[in-house]
Formats: sequence, C-alpha cells, structure tokens
Amino acid sequence: MKKKVLLMGASGSGKTSMRSLIFSNNPASLTSRLGATIDVEQNHVRFLGDLILNLWDCGGQDAFMDSYLTTQRSTIFQHVGVLIYVFEIESRDMSKDLLYYRDCLDALRKYSPDAAVFLLVHKMDLVTGDKRAALEKKRRELQHESGDVDVTVFGTSIYDESLYKAWSRIVHAIIPNAAVLTKHLTTFAETCNATEAILFERTTFLVIATSATTRAPPSPSNAYSALTSPNSNSTTTTTVTTPNGTNTDPGANVPVSAETADSDPHELSATRYERTSELIKALKHACSRVREEFHVLEMELPEFTAVLDEMTKNTYVLLVVHDPSIGASCLVWSCPVACVGGRGADGGGGYIETAALKINIRLARKKFEELQSSSVVS
Amino acid sequence: MPPSTDPPSSPHSPIDRTKILILGQRRSGKTSIVQVLFNDGNPKETFYLEPTTRIAKFTYEYHRHPARDMGLSWEHLPRRPQPPIAVCFYHLRDRYPGDLLRLGSAGRHPSHADSPHCTLQDSYQQPIARLLEFFTTAFGENPDMPLEVFVHKSEAFTDDYKIENFRLIHLRVNEELDDISPEYEQMPLNFHLTSIYDHSINEAFSKVLHRLIDSLPYLEQLLNVFVANSQASKTFLFDVKSRLYVATDASPVDTGTHNLCCDFVKTLTAFGPLYKSVSESPRRIQECPNSKPLFYPSAAMSLAPPSMGTTLTYHLITPQLALLSVLPTLVYESKRGLVEYNVVFFREGVQEIWQVEKDARTGQL
Ligand SMILES: Nc1nc2c(ncn2[C@@H]2O[C@H](COP(=O)(O)OP(=O)(O)OP(=O)(O)O)[C@@H](O)[C@H]2O)c(=O)[nH]1
Ligand SMILES: Nc1nc2c(ncn2[C@@H]2O[C@H](COP(=O)(O)OP(=O)(O)O)[C@@H](O)[C@H]2O)c(=O)[nH]1
Ligand SMILES: [Mg+2]
Repeated sequence: MKKKVLLMGASGSGKTSMRSLIFSNNPASLTSRLGATIDVEQNHVRFLGDLILNLWDCGGQDAFMDSYLTTQRSTIFQHVGVLIYVFEIESRDMSKDLLYYRDCLDALRKYSPDAAVFLLVHKMDLVTGDKRAALEKKRRELQHESGDVDVTVFGTSIYDESLYKAWSRIVHAIIPNAAVLTKHLTTFAETCNATEAILFERTTFLVIATSATTRAPPSPSNAYSALTSPNSNSTTTTTVTTPNGTNTDPGANVPVSAETADSDPHELSATRYERTSELIKALKHACSRVREEFHVLEMELPEFTAVLDEMTKNTYVLLVVHDPSIGASCLVWSCPVACVGGRGADGGGGYIETAALKINIRLARKKFEELQSSSVVS
Repeated sequence: MPPSTDPPSSPHSPIDRTKILILGQRRSGKTSIVQVLFNDGNPKETFYLEPTTRIAKFTYEYHRHPARDMGLSWEHLPRRPQPPIAVCFYHLRDRYPGDLLRLGSAGRHPSHADSPHCTLQDSYQQPIARLLEFFTTAFGENPDMPLEVFVHKSEAFTDDYKIENFRLIHLRVNEELDDISPEYEQMPLNFHLTSIYDHSINEAFSKVLHRLIDSLPYLEQLLNVFVANSQASKTFLFDVKSRLYVATDASPVDTGTHNLCCDFVKTLTAFGPLYKSVSESPRRIQECPNSKPLFYPSAAMSLAPPSMGTTLTYHLITPQLALLSVLPTLVYESKRGLVEYNVVFFREGVQEIWQVEKDARTGQL
C-alpha cells in the first residue's frame, strides 16, 4: 500500500533538511551543504511491512510553485494522503507564503479532499524570546488562514527533538489500524510487567505506537491517547529541556480528554518519546561513523530497567520496567528462562534481568510480525 | 555562564589540589573547552561566551584527584607559576576573520578561505612567540612540569589542511626551542589536535589527565587483568560526567572505538531522566537487592550482526567512574556471568586503590 506525502513550503524553509535527518540519518550540521531542490524529488520509503511512503519533496522556488499550481496541478495534488506544509518562523515574506499556501489548500480540497494537513512552523531554534508565545501567534494565524480545513500545527527545529515529535504524529496518522498495535503493545507491556512499551520504526526511529498507560484502560478507538497524553502532562518534574535550554514543546495539538491528561501515575518526562528517537538516531549515527550497525541496547539503571531490541523486520521495541519485584534473583548464569512470563520464582531479589525481557521480546516477535502485516493491509 | 568559583572547602581540606593552567590567545576556545568538558556545556552555546578577563578558577573532582583549572589569557601571564602544574596552551587560527586580524599586524592577513597556506607563517608568529616565552619560563621554574599544546578548532578544516598545519606548528615550536637552547630538548612537551565539536578534546584532555594520576599504573594493571580474563578487546575507565578516560588497558587506543564509547556514555546519561518515574523509581532504589551489595547500574549495546558483532558494556564502578569494555557479542551472551564476576573483582581493586589514596591524602598512613 502506498501513501503519497507532499512536502511543500517556501524555498529555504528546511524541507530537504528535515527529510535528510529523518529518513537518511544525516546530522543537522551537514544540512547547510544542501542545495536548493529542483522541481520535485520523489522518494519511496518502505515503512511498515507493505506500507510505502511516497514522499514528494517539492522545491519551493516561485517558478516551481507556480507550475505546481497551474500546469502540474492535478498531478501534484491527486491521491495525496498527507500534506506537510513548512513555514519558517522568521519568514522573509509571510504574505507570499500564505498566498501560495491558500492556493495549495484549494487544490488539495479539490483533488484530495480526505488528505490530512500538517503545518510545521520550522527553525524554532532561531526564536530568541518566548518560543511558546511566538508559536501560539503563528498557530492562530495559520489556523485562521486555513479556514474550515482541519490542520495540525507543530513547532519544529532540526536541532532538537521537536522534529521527531511532529513526524511521529504524522506517521501515526498514516498507519491504518494503529489502535490495534496500541492494544497489543499494552497487553505485551502488562505481560512483562513493564511500565511502558514503545514501538519504533526501524530506520527513522519514529514512534509508531505506544502502550496505553496502565491505570486508565484505553479505548481502542482512542489511538492517539498514548501519544498525546504525556504532552499534556504539565506537572512533570523531569521535563527535559532541549539542548539550547528551551522547551519548544508546541503543546496540545490535538484536544486531549481530561481522562488521559492525568492518567500517567509515573509522571515520566513529557518529551521522552521524541527524545528517545533523537538519542537513538544519534547513537546509530555514532555507530555508522565507525562502520558499525546498532543492534540492541539494554540498561539497568537505578531509576529503571530498559531493553531496546528488534521487534519485527521493520520495528524496534523499547520496554521500560520500574517494578523492582519482578525478574527476581534470576541471574543470567543461572537460568534466565525461569523469568519468562514476567515474574521470577523469587520476588525478593528485586534484580530485573534484561535477558528475561529480551526473551519476552523474542517470544512476541511472531505475533507482532502477523499483526503488523494485517494492520498495514487492512 | 562563567566558570564557578571555588566551592566551599570540603571537610577533608586542606586538599593538595593539582593545578592545571590553561593559557592561550583570546577567543582560542579555553572557556569553551572547560564548559563542554566539565559543565555539561553544549558546543553550540559556547558561541555566546563572554571573554574571560581575569583568572577564573574552578574545581573539578574526579575520582580522588581534584584538579584545579585556571583559565587565563596571555595578558595575565604569571611570571612564576608554582609547581606542580600541567600547562595547556591552545591555539589554532579562528575561522572568524575578525580574530585573525587581532593576532598579528592588522589587515595583512587574508582569511582562510582565500589562501589557506600563506597565512600560517604570519598569523602564528606572535602566538608562538608567547608560547615559547611561557614554556621557557615554566621549564626554568620546574623542568618536570608537563606542557601540553592543543591545536584547537580543528573541525572547521579539511583533514589534509589541519594535519599539515598541525605538523608545521609542531615543527616550528621544536625548531625555535632548539634555536634558543639545546637543553630544551628535555622539555616534556606534547601536541594534540582538538575540537569541541567532536571527541578529540576528550581524548586529548584524557591524556593530560593521565600525567596527573599517581595510581595510573595500578589502574592499568587492573584493566589488563580484566581484558585477559574477559576476552575484551578494549577497556576504558571513564569519568562519566566529563567523559574523560582515567585509564585504559595496554592495547593501543583506536579513535573510533574511543568515540563510540564516549557517545555511548553520553546516551546513557541522557536516558536516565527520561524514564524516571516519580512514583516508582524511589521505591525501586529503596528495595535494591540484597543479593548485590549495592545497586550498580550497568548497560550494554550490541552491534550487528548478532553472531559476529561486538558488544559495548558499561558498569559503574564508583559514583563517578564507569568501566567500558568492548567484547565479542558471543562472549557477552554466553559468559555474561563471568564478565560480571570480573567486574566485581575489578571494582574491588579500584576501591582499594581509592581507599589507599584517600588515607594517604588525609595523612592516615
Ligand atoms: N569552530 C570552532 N569554534 C570553537 C571551538 N571551540 C570554541 N569555539 C568558538 O570560539 C569562540 C571563542 O571561544 P571562547 O571559549 O570564548 O574563547 P576564550 O579563549 O575563552 O576567549 P577569552 O574569553 O578572551 O579568554 C566561540 O565562538 C566558540 O564557539 C571549536 O572547537 N571549533
Ligand atoms: N537554524 C535552522 N536552520 C535550518 C533548520 N532547518 C534547516 N535549516 C537550514 O536552512 C537552509 C535551507 O534548508 P533546505 O532544507 O535546503 O531548504 P529547502 O529549500 O526547503 O529544501 C539550510 O542551510 C539548513 O541548514 C532549522 O531547524 N534551524
Ligand atoms: Mg529542498
């Protein structure tokens, strides 16, 4: 199954840069070497199983834009699954940007009325003052310009995790039956006594699905709940600031029900999903610099135990466990198999064995392999 | 963010701190290095650092060796540095043309982009003269004082260009020292090519640190024993916060492996706070296992392919130091118990050394 994704916006707004970060694992520092995109660059990215993203990176110079909107109008705007429109936060000519944007929206409404629209307010790192306020202002302006079209606005920058947050949400919108994945991840997390299970796409490390928080039972229809609830959690004490010391979290992009808003008893960091994507991508990049390929990460830290391992051919799963009473005294050189099923023979040890988690992941592989193909075919 | 001043003296004071003097031209990157290594600074933020106009002191405790670090510019060159001191001098031309002008006689030097080679002679002349002046004075005061030269901001140039420049500076300093007096051949002088945008600064500063660690041979011996018994191909004892390695085993250091270990430690440090649970983590720490005397964090990263690849392991040894080792994944998977046993053994060794040094320092020996 193919999904056409249009990536549009003024020249220099950062489209090709974000594409090379997310899909090619290039570091942000190298993006300054990118030249302007000529016409449209098409990429096919195999995502989950049979799901292929057909990414159209549309060069943003006026001449190209004019041609997209006239002679190429139907070619460009037909069969679009998602339109991603990129605005620079400090745009040189916002009124022109908006003129083109409105024209694109009109074309989209005509040729692909069901397409989802995401607006990225990009280069947020350049804002020196109050980033949140600047983004809010832009958000209101853009929502106003979009009229009755439903749009989701994100503030992004290639220099922090905000880009992963936006793209995870975009991808999540594309995957059919993501809710089924969430449901099975939740079951899987419960089996392992894990606080959380997070599924990542293998090459991009974007978050595909997460288990629902344990306390509030998730409704299958609420596929977004796990993805959005941490964002609304403003009471967290472990909020991680971005490298430049500011929090560019654009806040609630999707209305979150009060029920999910405080259903996280652990108060984990609100930005953990996108930060994990960012950290693992950086680690993968570090591995590739020495011509190695990242495979598995396991951690037994004072605060938690976690394993990041391959789930299926196209995905990785992160299992996070806090409960000290599972896994027990089962040290690996004795018998890790005793831990399978979540609970060790003796709960007194409090030593969670990552090997046991790895075995659980191995056992779940087949199930998820099946699930994934069925959820994609739908 | 200026470097912090001396913290209030600890209960064990007076502690005999080792001084590290950091000297160099203005804007050569001294404060940035200190920020990045010891204050968790982000290299990009160093762009906004205020110039240091006076001697800035700050202390960093690693393991048992408190090091004092002073940043000062040429203008504040002390005439009589007191031993024991290790001196670092950094210099490489700034890529910002404005700074170039400040070095030599203004206006004469084209920027790097225009003419990469002809500027070398001119723009390095004055800094090298200052360096020689300081080194000869220092050598006169204390011939054993280790002197380290950091040729800095190297990432901005192509490999060929920076290696050529590095070689020329090295040659030039040696020649000029030789011209002044043959006795300077004995000078304990080292050169490093560094940048805060990669791990070269960590590697170079680690080597500086090694000259200050009395117990280095014992730590190295412990690492050698660990390597022999665990089939590890490489081990480092890292200071987690600064990502400097305090010791390594006898096998040569491969820069790629070193960098990957740095990145691994960095990732682990960042992961901790992300999944820390307000409700569960404290309970977890409280109920720490009786089977293990203390809760020692550990981690491992395996590289593909699973059957033939390698695994990087991480074990915290003291609150600051972690053992990083590179093992065949097969060994890690099949003999993890043995590896962990060796870690326990290693940990006891390190703690013993630590105790002896602590006793020596507080005068109980
Ligand atoms: N390209 C590059 N720039 C660097 C590097 N290290 C520092 N800089 C930049 O060099 C400039 C000056 O750095 P500082 O640390 O303020 O220099 P300083 O030697 O302390 O200068 P004074 O304050 O006058 O003592 C800053 O803009 C840093 O970002 C490096 O490794 N590479
Ligand atoms: N400061 C900043 N610059 C960015 C960001 N993203 C991209 N850029 C820079 O913007 C310039 C143009 O980016 P590019 O992707 O070529 O734009 P395109 O014409 O839309 O494809 C490049 O120099 C990038 O390095 C960002 O998040 N922050
Ligand atoms: Mg482009």
